[in-house]
This record gives sequence, structure tokens and C-alpha cells, in this order.
Amino acid sequence: MAANLSGVLIENTRECVKQSKILVVGAGGIGCELLKNLVLTGFNDITVIDLDTIDVSNLNRQFLFRKEHVGKSKAKVAMESTLKFNPNVKIQAFHDSIMSTEYGLNFFKQFSAVMNALDNRAARNHVNRMCLSADVPLIESGTAGYLGQVQVIKKGLTECYECQPKPTQKTFPGCTIRNTPSEPVHCVVWAKHLFNQLFGEDDPDQDVSPDTEDPELAGDAGKSAMEKEASETAVGGIERKSTRTWATGTAYNPHKLFNKYSDLPKDTKSETGMRDQRVWSIQECSDVFSTCLSKLRDQVHQQGDGVLVWDKDDEIAMDFVTSTANIRAYIFGIALKSRFDIKSTAGNIIPAIATTNAIIAALIVMEGIKVLHGDFDKCKQIYLNRQANPRKKLLVPCALDKPNPKCYVCSSKPEVTVVLNTEKFTVKQLEDKVLKVGLGMVAPDVEIDDGKGTILISSEEGETEENAEKHLSNFKITSGTILKCDDFLQNYNLNVIIAHKDKLEEEKEFVIVGDLSELKATAETPNGVNGGQEENKQEDEDDDLMVVEDPVEEPVVEQRKRKADDTDIEENKAKRMKLTSIPEESEDDVVIL
Amino acid sequence: MADTKKVVIDKKNKYDRQLRLWGDHGQSALESACVCLVNVSAVGTEILKNMILPGVGSFTIVDGNKVSGEDVGNNFFLTKDNIGESRAKAATELLSELNDDVSGDFVEESAEKLIRANPDFFSRFTLVIATNLCERELLELDSLLSKRNIPLLVCRSYGFIGYMRIVIKEHTVIESHPDSAHEDLRLDHPFPRLVEYCNSLDLESMDQKEHSHTPWIVIVYKYLQKWKESHDGNAPKNYKEKLLFKEFIKQGIRSNKEGFPLDEENFDEAVKSVNTALVPSSMPSVVRKLFEDPCCSNLDAESSSFWILVRAVKEFVDNEGKDLLPLRGTIPDMTADSTRYIQLQHVYHGQADDDVAVVTEKVRKIEQSIAKDNCISDHDIKLFCKNAAFLRIFRSRSLAEEYNNKTANLQEIAQHLGDEDNDDDFVFYVLLRGVDKFYEEYNRYPGVYEDQIEADVLMLKTSVQKILHDWGLNPTSIKDDYIHEICRYGAAELHTISSFIGGAAAQEAIKIITKQFVPFNNTYIYNAMKQSSLTELPQQKHFILVIHNQILKLSVRKQWKSLYIIIKVFILFNIGQMYKIKHLILKSLSI
Repeated sequence: MAANLSGVLIENTRECVKQSKILVVGAGGIGCELLKNLVLTGFNDITVIDLDTIDVSNLNRQFLFRKEHVGKSKAKVAMESTLKFNPNVKIQAFHDSIMSTEYGLNFFKQFSAVMNALDNRAARNHVNRMCLSADVPLIESGTAGYLGQVQVIKKGLTECYECQPKPTQKTFPGCTIRNTPSEPVHCVVWAKHLFNQLFGEDDPDQDVSPDTEDPELAGDAGKSAMEKEASETAVGGIERKSTRTWATGTAYNPHKLFNKYSDLPKDTKSETGMRDQRVWSIQECSDVFSTCLSKLRDQVHQQGDGVLVWDKDDEIAMDFVTSTANIRAYIFGIALKSRFDIKSTAGNIIPAIATTNAIIAALIVMEGIKVLHGDFDKCKQIYLNRQANPRKKLLVPCALDKPNPKCYVCSSKPEVTVVLNTEKFTVKQLEDKVLKVGLGMVAPDVEIDDGKGTILISSEEGETEENAEKHLSNFKITSGTILKCDDFLQNYNLNVIIAHKDKLEEEKEFVIVGDLSELKATAETPNGVNGGQEENKQEDEDDDLMVVEDPVEEPVVEQRKRKADDTDIEENKAKRMKLTSIPEESEDDVVIL
Repeated sequence: MADTKKVVIDKKNKYDRQLRLWGDHGQSALESACVCLVNVSAVGTEILKNMILPGVGSFTIVDGNKVSGEDVGNNFFLTKDNIGESRAKAATELLSELNDDVSGDFVEESAEKLIRANPDFFSRFTLVIATNLCERELLELDSLLSKRNIPLLVCRSYGFIGYMRIVIKEHTVIESHPDSAHEDLRLDHPFPRLVEYCNSLDLESMDQKEHSHTPWIVIVYKYLQKWKESHDGNAPKNYKEKLLFKEFIKQGIRSNKEGFPLDEENFDEAVKSVNTALVPSSMPSVVRKLFEDPCCSNLDAESSSFWILVRAVKEFVDNEGKDLLPLRGTIPDMTADSTRYIQLQHVYHGQADDDVAVVTEKVRKIEQSIAKDNCISDHDIKLFCKNAAFLRIFRSRSLAEEYNNKTANLQEIAQHLGDEDNDDDFVFYVLLRGVDKFYEEYNRYPGVYEDQIEADVLMLKTSVQKILHDWGLNPTSIKDDYIHEICRYGAAELHTISSFIGGAAAQEAIKIITKQFVPFNNTYIYNAMKQSSLTELPQQKHFILVIHNQILKLSVRKQWKSLYIIIKVFILFNIGQMYKIKHLILKSLSI
């Protein structure tokens, strides 16, 4: 089929391409482009897996899908559309999660290479581990707006996806959200928390009542915080459930929910323009708030379990958050925002366009060909810039790093230290927050290394349920205790060393540290683990840069201010700075012709 | 009525993810754009695909050929069933399926004929994209379009090499979306409102909570005034003084009863921000250059709003602004209580609004003087003022100039080819020119017939040498390996390379249409073997020269010191041009 290749790809490459079996994980923006590129490069045995269904907002870039496909399986439709263009290739599609137990080691072992076209870290971590266990080369990728990157991962030769610690998503201290908001985002977070408090799953972390124990809470802030009734908060140690129960009791009356609801101005004018784009007036916000409240109340009553899940694409849920956030912003004198902007903040929306995906998918295939040849020394980690960097490069190819010997995933004896308060931390929290979310395990088994082999958590259902709500200290877990964690599916063993600490910075519940030397370093910096160290270092060096004139000229250090949401790219910022600061080769790049 | 409303909502949702990049105004610019594709190649349809998906207004394909088997092999938008049909028609049909909101059209005629028979055909387009044109056709199209002021994007996918060239007479960018920018805080030139606000706060008399929640801008301002009192009215100038200034601020941190300093985050932020906050407010050189541009001084009824705005801002800078641009009016996030953070925000907003009002007045006067009606909207003036520090202009040379040996940028070319290692991707530019010359002579591309490759290598070598000779350069400066490599490609178009260029070119096309972000200037070469690319962004040279000249002004002892810094700067700044540093060292030694 791909006739033109004969001249360019050498004979053995063509054979390689024909013989290989490729797994494409994800059939979204990058996935669609990748499938097309693979087929037109001559690959003819491709498996694609994606658990998602097609949404309207995908159509601006995922070109294998049409309007009529909305709601259908991405993987299946992508396969059908590709086959329509080229019926001679073998494509297998799974509408499923790659993290499901069905896709174990043997599934991964059948492929010559795995290409990631994912959009979330949990799945990336998982595929990384599966590929390491199965020793199948992995080509990892990601895009965010105009930015993108591709990285080749090969067990033992290169860094794995988890060799460099990734910053966690930016969170705000609870007191800022509850008591002292100063930015629109604080109000948006508050509004989302309120939604969950009223209609969603209960989460004590998201309690939005003003914290009466907060020593910094001045009297007037308490007054102005238009929270629930005073009697409610005055009780202090009231049972958590009561917010919801109380709200139900008042039939979700907006006047009772918002003390200041009746004080809101009635005659403000809305800006003109599209509903999504303009900033609503307070009058409009309060109307929308009241309407949403009653609609959501009805929904929650109809729902069997009485739990709604907030979704940015749900009209009413999004309207609720927009109006609530704006009312709160109004009360605190913070700028009001349009529904469009609030959706971006609340939904962690990462902008996405066809062009970046096309570029990245092409890079994946080029790296893929080298991988299949076994030319790992020629493989690169490539970054795509928004515009040419000071070296006039839109693409920044970097040599791949060696594996991090202290990596808690790919090193020979993986271990990690977790700092937490053993007296307050429950076994369930350990499983859900630390092992599953923090350390990316799917179904962990945990044994305490106490010489007796006490089983703390079992992946078999029901075996250790009675442990769930107990605190770690009940099992004599203290500083220095080693927990042997094992994920059978990922074929992954990890020793978790516990370090007890009464109170952590910024109201964090726990901190994961690679090794103890790192722990000591972080204890000294006020910013904690999340990239704080890099920032500090950079700041110090800035002094020497003062010679430079024209500070507003092109950014000189690759230092992007990005929103907290495009984590995929953000993750590599620190690393990128390190890599690109070493000039790879000397050349002059100016081409004005 | 209900129906039209539904369509609007649909579009909002469909384009949601991209609206977050270029906004509603960018989207409407895109939706009113008409693009023309000359020749259906894989790279051509990929570019169109990437413009149709985000909703370009309309597209027209010009191609007089029929679909061949080879086309089907690398083009996703031509299928086996299309073989023998018109390429323009078949591609238009399949591409149109991508987006109902985009209208597609085609002309079944070769570009060459159309250029001669109906040159005005091209007048209607916002942008023309050309692929697979030979040198002669390309130059004809270039001259036709530059007469009509229509931008041209030339794209090529050749073996493992991708190539793009933007030809545009003048492209101005207001929203360049810089990756990072210094905050515009004016602590060195405080405006009355800021002074008044800072003076209204008294750190001494605050209670602890207030003290630790005073915005750092206020702290730095206050300590700066105190510092100036004891330093002849000067701000900290050098590294040493800045360190002292930081210590000075740290002394303001309150202590508890036991004498230990309290945890005051706002003071930490103040200390951290000293370096950036003390960078003197100044006019960016790019903007100053715009002020000196003849387009700014000679306004007439034909002048674009960009130049009218530049002129108005220039007048502001020369008068009210006291050599500074209108205030941007935004402040960074910081530790502060809501009330005072918002007050401070209002201080900056208020001044920015005042500046905008002054500029607006000037704009209206200019419009009157050149007999233009009230045509620039208040919103646009505000946007312009906010982005005044990031304005960009881009004027590229025409292909006619590039292809004429008398006007070609030979210095540039020589510099690239002067590299002894011959490792510069620029080599491929020369080779592609050689390939075109080959085509001109033999009416086919080198290496298309496998049995003739050896002969073709020699012929291509001659073509390349001729080009180098005509440029007055060493004809043997390109290694034979490269000639072999390019011959081996046999003009094959690899889909992956086309996909890459298709993405990159569409991105640049959208930048040009929306007038947002900075397009590359003006040639782009992608080498898929190395995964490297090469292009140009303005001002780079200027920046190096500034540093260089500054060093030469210093005493020898200081030169050594600054050299140390410069080397650090260069490494940090990732410029990576080690030989330039070498050059600097040698030069300094000889003085």
C-alpha cells in the first residue's frame, strides 16, 4: 500500500514495520493521528484501547470522529474509520480501561512496542510499570495547547516515566478556601466543594464551613463569610454529615444557605454578549443559583444513592459552580468571571488543538521506527515549543537520560518514604490516597515487615476490611516501619518506609519522598516537595543575569508560567531546564532568506 | 430561531478546547478566513485537515491532476476508489466530511495555467498554501501574491526532510502571548496612586495579622524609599547592593517574645521578588523600533489600525508616559488578605485605565487628522495598551529576492555553511534548491528510478555545486553523503513527515490568520533523522551584540569577571553557541 516508502525506508526497516505488533493506548487527540500515521507508514497489526466515549468537544481535533459518533466508543469508531480508509490492515479495538486486570503481563508481552496517547497520569504510571515488567519499549507522549513532548522508555537503558518525581496538582490551603479567598480560583474551588457538600460524596477535606478554630480568623472575616447559619458553625465539632443533612432539612433554601443571599443587589445589569463569554451580573448569578439549587435538589432525590458527581460538561452543575463562585467573589470584592473562564478553572481544562497532536503523533512514529530497529542510542526525548526558543528551535531533541538509580519504580530495590501522622492516618487512607493515587498502584497487597508478616491490606475483597478505618498506629506502625507493598497486576514490589510527623506544612496529609536525604532537604525549604527547591535555586542564580538589558525581550530561560492544570507538561519543566542547559552541539540557527 | 441557537451552542462546545488558546476573537478571525491549497499532496491535505477541524471559514483546492496509486499510498484523504478521478475533487469531498461548518471548493486546473489565465482568482484568499510547485511556478505565484498583499506559505515534505517558508509583506501581532514576562509594577517609577496607597499603610502600627498579610509590593516599595534616603536617592544597583537590600527587608520581619523571627510569608516573597521587582522599567527595544518605523511617522487614511495605535502609544510615551509604556495593570498572586490585595489590584487597574483613556484620546485625534472615522474600538485600544510591551512585527523577504543571487541573504548562507562539521540542518535547504535545479534541467527528481541513482548522484552534485558557485561559495562545501541521502529519497513523500509539517504549517497558518502568537521567521527545516528543526526568531543577534558591546566597554579586570558571568549566562540561557563564547574570550584576550 504505502508505495512511496520503498525509496526512503531501507529494506530491513520496511520488514520491521510490517512484522511488528503495536499497542496504541488511547484513541483521543494523539491516538487518532497516531493510528493514521501508523497505517500510512505500513504498520499492519495494531491494537487500540480506550475506555472513553466521544464528546462534542473532541471533534475539533479527533478527526476520525463525526457528529453522529458522539457517545460511542472512541476505540471502536477510530478502528472503523481507519479501516474505511485502509481495509487491508489488522486493527483490534478494546473499549476498556488499560488498567483493568484483563490486560496483564501476557497481554503486554505480545507487542513489539507500546505507544501511549494518554491524558492522565494514573494510566501513564500504570502502562509504564506494565512495560517495564514485560520489557516492552514504550513511547510516551503528551500535549497541552501548543506544547508537546515525546519520550522513549526502555527498561534498564533509559529513565522510566516515574524516574523523576512529578509535582502534584496545585492545591490551596484549606483556610484560604474557607476564610481568606483573594483570587477567583479560590471561589471556584469553594463552589465545587459546596457542590460536593450539598449533593456529592462526603469528603471532610472539602468542608467549606468557616474554620472557627483558625487563629488567623479575624472577627470581620467570620462575619463576612456568607456561610451557613451561625448556630451551625458555632457547635464546632459537629458531625460532618450535618451540612448535608441540614441543607436537606431546609429543603435547600437559598436564603438559608447563604446568609447574605437576600442582601445581594437586585438591579445590576449583565454585560451583553454570549451567555458563556460575558460576566453575569449578581442578579443573574443569584437567579441561576436558586434555579440550579432546586434542579439539583430534585436530581439528588431521584438518584438512588443520593450522590451527584460534579461534571464540567453537565449544564446545571456548571451553572451552579459559576453562580456560586461569582456570588462569593462578589462578597469578597474579588473580580467576577465568565462561565467560560470558570469552566476552565473548575474543570482543569487543558486546551487542545489538532496541529500539536499531528506533530507529536508524527514524532512518535519516527521514534517508533528507531525503537523497532533497536537503535535506542539514537532515540530522543523531544519537546515541542509554542514558538521558537532562543536557540530558534521549535523542537528541542534531548538525549535520553539513564535510569534514576533511586527511582521507586524501575530501580532494582524500589523503596520510598512516606511522611504522615500515624495516629491520624487510617489504613483506608493509606490504600486510597498513598498507594493508589500517590504511588499509582491498582490493587495493592500490603504486609508489615515486623517479622510476623502481618497483612495490613489485601487485594482480595473482604479479607482486610476490618482494618480499613483503623489508624496506622493501631498496628504499631511508627517511624522506620517498612511496609512491603505488592501489586500483582503490575508485577511491582515496593517497600514503603513510614516517617511519622505530627503536623505537615500547608495542611498536607502526607508527603512522598524518594529517599531520606531528600526528606531532610525538603524539611528546610518552606515550599515543600513540589518543585519548591528548583524555584529557589533558580531565584538565587537570577542575580547574575542582571547584565541583560531589555527584560521584556524574549524569555531567556525556559520558564513558562502555566496554569496549574497542564500538569503533563509542567512535570517536565525542571528536567527540561536541566537538559537544555547543556548545549548539545554548536550551531548557528539563523535562517532569514 | 430555536435552531440557530442550538448551532451556536454546538460550536461553543465543539471548539471549547481551542477557544482557550486564541479566544472568541481569534476563532471569528479563523471562521472568516478563506484559504487556498495549491496541489493535493499528503502534506497539503494534512495542513487543510488541521485547519478544517478547528473551523477555518472555507478552503479551495487547485489541482489539475488525477489521483494515482502513489497518492493513495501516502494520503489519508484519497482512497483506492478515487484512482483516476480529479485529485482536487476527491480530496475536497473527503476533507469536507471533517467539519460541516466549513465550506470546501475546488478548481480542476493546474496552478500554472490559473496563474496566467486568471491571476485575480487568488485575490479572494486570506492565505495561499503551495505544495509541490517547481521553482518557476513558485516564483510566479510569489510575485502575483505579493502584488496583492496575500501571505504565502510554501510547504514541502521530501524524504526525511520537511520544509516551510512564510512569505508575508507585513505581519503585525498585538497578542504575542509571551511565554513569560516581567510584571509591570513600576516600583522604580511609582505613579501617584501607588505612592498614595503605600503611604496610607503603616507597617509599624499594624497588628501581627495585618503585618504578615501586607502585600509584598507595598513592603518592597516602602523599604525602597527608606533605602533611597540613605543612598542619595538611588535604588540598589548591583548584586552586592541587592543582597544588602534583601537583608534590609529581612530586618522588617517581626520577632516573637523569645526573639525568634516570626513566619511572615509576605516578607519572604518580598525578598524573593527583589531581583525582578528592581529591574528598571524601560521601553522594550522592539517597541522602540516600531516607533521609529516610517509607517508610524507617516500615517494616512490607508494606515492600518496597528500603526495608528503605535503612533498613539508613541505620543503617550513621549509625553504623559515619561518614556514608559501605558501601565499593564495586572499584579501577580501573592500572600495578602483579600481586602488589601483587591485594593492594590484597583490601584494598578485604575492607573492602567487612566493610561488607556489618554491613549484613546490620542487615537481619536489621529483618526480625525487622517480623516478616518471612529474605527478602532475601545476594546481594541485597551487590548493594545495591555500588550504594548509585546508587540511584534514581521516582514519577510519575497521569494524573488531569495532566489535572486544578487539579493539573496548570502551572509546568512555562508555563515551556516561555514561550519566545518557540516552538521547544520541548513545543508538541506541547499540540497532542496539543488533538487529543484535538477528538476528544471531534467524534468524529473533525482533518484526516482532506482537503476539511475548512481548517475543521478553525480548530476545532483553538479546542480548543487552550481548553486554554491553562483553564491560565490566553496562548491565542495557539502559532503557527498548528503547528496547520496537526498538522491535515495527519490522525491518520496513519507506520510509521517507530511503529518509533522501538516501540523506545524497549519499552526503557523492559524497564527497568521488570527494575528496571535509569533510565527517563525521565515524558513523552517525539519530533519526527521535527528528530530531537529531549525528556524529563526527575530532579535537574537541584537541581544548577543548588546552583551558583547557592553563587555568591550569595561576595564580588562572587569572583562574577566564579566566573562565568567557571560559564560554562565550563555549556558543558563541555553543559547548553546559555544563558538561565540570562544570568540568573545579570544577577543577579550587580545585587548
